[in-house]
Amino acid sequence: MAVLNLRNVTYTYPLTDAPVLKNVSLQVEEGEFVAVIGPNGAGKSTLCYAIAGFIPHFYKGELTGTVEVEGVDVRQTTLSERVLQAGLVFQNPFSQITGAKYTVYEEIAFGLENTGVPPDEMHRRIGQVMRLTGITDLAERSPYALSGGQQQRVALASILVMEPKILVLDEPTSQLDPIGAREVFAVIKALSEQGRTVVMVEHKVEWVAAFADRVIALDGGEIVLEGTPRQVLSAVELAGRGFGLSRYTLAAHEAEKQGLWPRGEPLPVTLAEAVAGFGRRGGKA
Amino acid sequence: MHERLSFYIPRSSTLHQLNPLTKVTLTFTLIILAFFSPWYWTAPLLAVGVILPLSALGQVLRPYLSAAARLVLPAVAFIFVMQSLFLPGGQTVLVRLWLLEVTVESLSAAFLTTTRIFAMVSAFILFLLTTHPSHLMSDLTRRKLPAAFAYVIISTLQIIPQMQAKAQTIMDAQRARGLDTESGFIRRVQALTPLVGPLVFGSLVEVEERAIAIEARGFSSTRPKTSLHEIPDTPRDRAIRWVLLALIVLTFASKLWLS
Amino acid sequence: MSSVGSTSAPVQTTGRTGLVGSVRRDFNTMTWVLMPVAIAINVAIGQIVLALKLPVYLDSIGTVLVGVLCGPWAGALTGLLSNLIWGIALDPNALPWFPVAAAIGATAGICAKFGLFKNWWKTAISGFLIAIVAAIISAPIAVLVYGGITASGSSMITAFLLQTGQGLYTSVFSTNFLVEPVDKISTALLAFAIIEGLSARYLARFPRPENAALGAQADRRTQLLIAVGIVIILFLVDAFIIVNLISD
Repeated sequence: MAVLNLRNVTYTYPLTDAPVLKNVSLQVEEGEFVAVIGPNGAGKSTLCYAIAGFIPHFYKGELTGTVEVEGVDVRQTTLSERVLQAGLVFQNPFSQITGAKYTVYEEIAFGLENTGVPPDEMHRRIGQVMRLTGITDLAERSPYALSGGQQQRVALASILVMEPKILVLDEPTSQLDPIGAREVFAVIKALSEQGRTVVMVEHKVEWVAAFADRVIALDGGEIVLEGTPRQVLSAVELAGRGFGLSRYTLAAHEAEKQGLWPRGEPLPVTLAEAVAGFGRRGGKA
Repeated sequence: MHERLSFYIPRSSTLHQLNPLTKVTLTFTLIILAFFSPWYWTAPLLAVGVILPLSALGQVLRPYLSAAARLVLPAVAFIFVMQSLFLPGGQTVLVRLWLLEVTVESLSAAFLTTTRIFAMVSAFILFLLTTHPSHLMSDLTRRKLPAAFAYVIISTLQIIPQMQAKAQTIMDAQRARGLDTESGFIRRVQALTPLVGPLVFGSLVEVEERAIAIEARGFSSTRPKTSLHEIPDTPRDRAIRWVLLALIVLTFASKLWLS
Repeated sequence: MSSVGSTSAPVQTTGRTGLVGSVRRDFNTMTWVLMPVAIAINVAIGQIVLALKLPVYLDSIGTVLVGVLCGPWAGALTGLLSNLIWGIALDPNALPWFPVAAAIGATAGICAKFGLFKNWWKTAISGFLIAIVAAIISAPIAVLVYGGITASGSSMITAFLLQTGQGLYTSVFSTNFLVEPVDKISTALLAFAIIEGLSARYLARFPRPENAALGAQADRRTQLLIAVGIVIILFLVDAFIIVNLISD
């Protein structure tokens, strides 16, 4: 059974008329890493909120269709129960600091305290999750005295510690500097290798290409394309529409028009693929 | 880089080891004694004979004296002078200054009020010096204080220094543009607008995101809460609280009996 | 067609009727997250005003904000905690005044419920009402805790009145009625200005978005002129009250 199952989901925010998600259907199996790409306003964050239960419980509005996590539809459960199944981490590392705790260790415990986990279990899980996110040496620091990348890893840890079935990441690195982004991606890579189910909204398509099992292209609230990273990220019909297709893809596409890219060769997503492709072209003459 | 808004000084004194609720009870007992005891000299006696020694016991004597001098003395001195000079209804004039007179009655009323206030504030300072905010909140939450209250109090304590820092940055920028805190009244009122806007709206925007973040951590969960740290509550603590309670009852009783 | 509602209320079966329901309604997650920010706004602006040496306090703007957007109970709690925290962390002389702060929040919430925060001149009236409540409730505290003369500069006025032979409560009330209206009307107007600057979408997240004026304002200029007129009237009313107090 799919761990996440969206069927014909259409959603309109309160006080607006146009639906932000239109008839979206999506199934995610356990252990899959699904990336979601799309231009601004495509509904990617809305999709994340829908999976994590904030739609409809936090945002109200009109929701049709079903959003099932582990077989339970979002309307059949409360927000605070849903977040235990689908954990959400979003862009701004600073606003994910609760403010209620003085040390990183306690900050991570916040979710466990709220949901009645016994103290011994708390210590066990926190230690584990800090090792996973590489923040063990930050345990006694104030969450406010950290870099963006560190804060985002604390946010990740604080959600992971609650052991959700699905991890929903809404552009987790977009507000970080390159070093912070790399730290966070390293953690996400490790999580994916462990077999976590991840749904991640991301702009940096090179990273998506490296991790994702599947890519969903969202535009105007609809899924316009779905497939492997290879398939989606080199789809020329997505170029120039704000999907962030990598410059290597776009360069090779232009080159192909001029006959400078090997005919029939799929377009590259990463630098390595571009170099390889252009190199082969040289050989064929 | 960040500041904590807190008087707390970590030590391993007897006071520090007491349960937070015990210390809260102690503080309130001292205040009630100071304000409701029928004996005139209660407040100064408490301040010098109880709170001061306790601060030594708590290994925070120096910080206590410095905080008292910085926070309490100026206000208390002001009130003392004002009351001595301006409280009406006195008979025995001691000093005459121009149109004002200091009478024995106004002096003694002033002394009573100021020593009471001094005792009250000192009691609070002592409490804050020896109690970590999150220990207090943890303990109160265990005793069924709603978790949301603990959340609000601690995050306020952490957000205030950040807001103050932001305000300071904006004020400095304004000064660089020519705002002078000594300049005319209208100028100063005008200065308020560019200060308030960024400060207020910036922090309000974060409210929605933070609400989502804490919901994602089960803030609204109806499951029974647990606590990472268990703050011990010893028989000694309980005994002390009973004694303090008895003192409170005695104070009110004697006040009633004597009136 | 689209629906608005208070946010993050889980599918719960507990009632929203009656007194308990009314209290409950004030508090959703946004309320709890707004409160620390509101208290910090109280502190930050209050301290800026002190630094600029203006003759007002302006230390309740956040409290009023919560009262309007979340309700009287939330406003009262904000005032209460704001005072306690200010007293504990910054200046212990603020501590005895917590009932006043709570009353300010509650009054703001009640005024908002009656639609008195929907335009400039109605807000000015709310400010005046808040000032009256604050003046009345702070009097007994000033007398019982401080014997009438508090640690603030306004006690000079009280002292002067006492010297001219006025009774203790009369002096204290008069001082309060002199000092509070300017401060609380400005506070209310500033809170209104802040709410005006927030989008309807954002306001809808709070428990009582209906207290704010959603939708376009009628001609701004007229609004402000009416507001100024109302403020002048209010000050005349205030002067009348004070003169009456003193000549009794």
